[in-house]
Amino acid sequence: MARETKLFKIVRYIFLTLSCIFVLVPLVPLVFMAFKTGAEYSSTGVLEAPKSWLNFYNFAYAIRVGHLGKALVNTVIILGISLTIQILFTTMVSYVLHRFDFRGKKLIMTLFTLTMFIPVVTTQTVVFQIIYKMGLVSTRLSVILLYSGVGIVGIYIMFNILSSIPKDLDEAALLDGASYFSIYGKIVLPLMKPACTTLLILNGIGTYNDFYIPNLYLRKDVQTFTVALYKFFGNTATPFEIVAAAILLGIIPIGIVFLFLQKYIYYGLAGAVKS
Amino acid sequence: MAALGLAAVMSLTAVACGETGEEKKPDSSQKDQTSQADGKDLAGTTIRVYTHTGNRVLGEEKKDDDGNTYRDESSAYLAQLAEKFTDETGIKVELNVVTNEDEIRPLFQVEDPTVDVFTCPNWSLEEWAQYTEPYCTLDEGREVYGEYADAMPNDGKNIFSIMPGRAYNQAVVYNEEVIKAAGYDEIPGTLDEFNKMCEKIKGNGVTPISLHRVENWPLATVQDFAGYVAGDANVFAECLKTENPFSEEAPFGKTIKMYTEWKAKGYFEPEVYTDFGVAMDSVAYGKSGMMLFGSWVVPQIQGRVPKGTDPSIIKFAPAPDFGAGRYVLAAPADNWAISKFSENKEAARQFIEYIADDAQFIADSGFIANKKGVTPIVPELYSIIDKQVEDGTCTALLSPATDDNTIANQDILTEAGLWADYKYVGLLFDALDVTKPDDWSAYDKQVETQNKAYAEYKEELGLEWKE
Repeated sequence: MARETKLFKIVRYIFLTLSCIFVLVPLVPLVFMAFKTGAEYSSTGVLEAPKSWLNFYNFAYAIRVGHLGKALVNTVIILGISLTIQILFTTMVSYVLHRFDFRGKKLIMTLFTLTMFIPVVTTQTVVFQIIYKMGLVSTRLSVILLYSGVGIVGIYIMFNILSSIPKDLDEAALLDGASYFSIYGKIVLPLMKPACTTLLILNGIGTYNDFYIPNLYLRKDVQTFTVALYKFFGNTATPFEIVAAAILLGIIPIGIVFLFLQKYIYYGLAGAVKS
Repeated sequence: MAALGLAAVMSLTAVACGETGEEKKPDSSQKDQTSQADGKDLAGTTIRVYTHTGNRVLGEEKKDDDGNTYRDESSAYLAQLAEKFTDETGIKVELNVVTNEDEIRPLFQVEDPTVDVFTCPNWSLEEWAQYTEPYCTLDEGREVYGEYADAMPNDGKNIFSIMPGRAYNQAVVYNEEVIKAAGYDEIPGTLDEFNKMCEKIKGNGVTPISLHRVENWPLATVQDFAGYVAGDANVFAECLKTENPFSEEAPFGKTIKMYTEWKAKGYFEPEVYTDFGVAMDSVAYGKSGMMLFGSWVVPQIQGRVPKGTDPSIIKFAPAPDFGAGRYVLAAPADNWAISKFSENKEAARQFIEYIADDAQFIADSGFIANKKGVTPIVPELYSIIDKQVEDGTCTALLSPATDDNTIANQDILTEAGLWADYKYVGLLFDALDVTKPDDWSAYDKQVETQNKAYAEYKEELGLEWKE
């Protein structure tokens, strides 16, 4: 038995090491590329290290020419507002659907579930026309509006935590004269914080990385980071060493957030699967 | 009032299609335009220009002395021209760079009036008609641009996009040092000699030709080279005349086989380049001898030569004689169109005419001014071709107009699943396994498959060559 455990351990470590290599290897050329000069990039192999690790030219160029600073600010504004609205609405919808029985509840849940099966691209022609008629194209509000909707994954994450909050708490508060809104705001919402953090991370990463919607709706001064990054791509040639530097700059903020809050993702995902 | 009205009509007439000094009647497309007269009347107007030619707005991408990439703003010719135009007319120009037509299509779909002028290389004829203000009639276009007008996007009646430049296209872009090292001073005139040169280049450890096959769009060149093989620019549409366009006896089949033979001989790059920039760099750095491409690629490669190297080592010459003579394709270049939904159509038209009148801007952009009354400046890159065209050793084939036969051939290829991504070329080219250069069985089988599919759908669609 002891031998089996040791063998299992070895296999496990080999498997995990290989998995890490598979994940990290594609990142190595990216890092190498970001520190190479344009001439070096063209004349050396992708797995060759740069001549100098102190060549920050590509980073400076990406920030200056690609206006990445402004793009990052736009991304933060869009993320901040849309995620706040989305989380607030998701908790409200989930609270109502979880705690109350009413006619049409199943239909509402079915409709939310159905939205998962409709690809975003297929509805965009119509949605673009609506947003255009509202005069919101090329404004941050257009994408904020589109990102603020409630999704079924968020509802499942909230259901998981709501199941662990005893209904007795709601009933006791009700007996003490609290309104439903007070129960939601003062008792349930604070207890939903871990699930809210999970949703924040999951949708935050998705929104941060999204290219399709911002590229369609935002132009010039209100571009997000991904769209600004895309502007380095020419219709034939692309300075990939600059793009690599810009990608690394883009990974840093989201990487830091992920490292600090990753435990909430695992919690939320495990819970969502269980529920 | 009468004088003002007369002035307005006169200036409107002057900008109709081209200011050639000859009076023209405003065409039907201009009837809805207000009687704004000259630039002064439109001063303060802002027109928004959407263009995919980012290099001319932001500057050419080049490498500095340390090898770092930078934008050479001195080559931001369109930005400079727009500034000059604003100074002279008071009409402001807002330049927007787009990567391709997909980025502006949604704006047209909602009839957005904020797009005034746009350039778009890959618009379909339906889209030109749907989204573009007809620039002038085809007859008016012919008066100003001669036979080149027929090759501008048009529906047989109106021209949708005006192309004020012309270019010699689809030839050999080469690194002179590489061919000199192989013992040649110029691109040889015959296919045999060309092949010998490629062997010598290969023997020197250099890739003879960069094809950049990892992407599909470079295969478009093969279509134009088929015109040289046949000595007939209309060769694509003329596929309709046969049931077996991919056989070696047909110009198309012969051309694709020639390319595939070059592949079998190891003339193309063995590496899979992920980026066209790297392929261009390989020519600039002498790792590869040449590309068979359009003229637009020449300044981009010249901008990439290593520090201390004279950019003029990158030259552009006609392809060798593939059996029917030496040819080069001559085509109108650089399209400019006015959006159907623009609220500043007159200012937009003035801007386009301003471009068409500026021979230096057109030359800086790599083209030759083509409007009647404008003295053209021939860019240095065309010097070899221009000389050979003049002395008769090379013939300029005019790029053919898209006619019913072209569309019919395209329809057959589409139905046969061979049109998208130039599959009718790519599938054949890829059929040969480069590790087994003598085994042509898969290639021959693919020829048979494509011929069969072509004949089948030609019959099914009932399409035949129309004289």
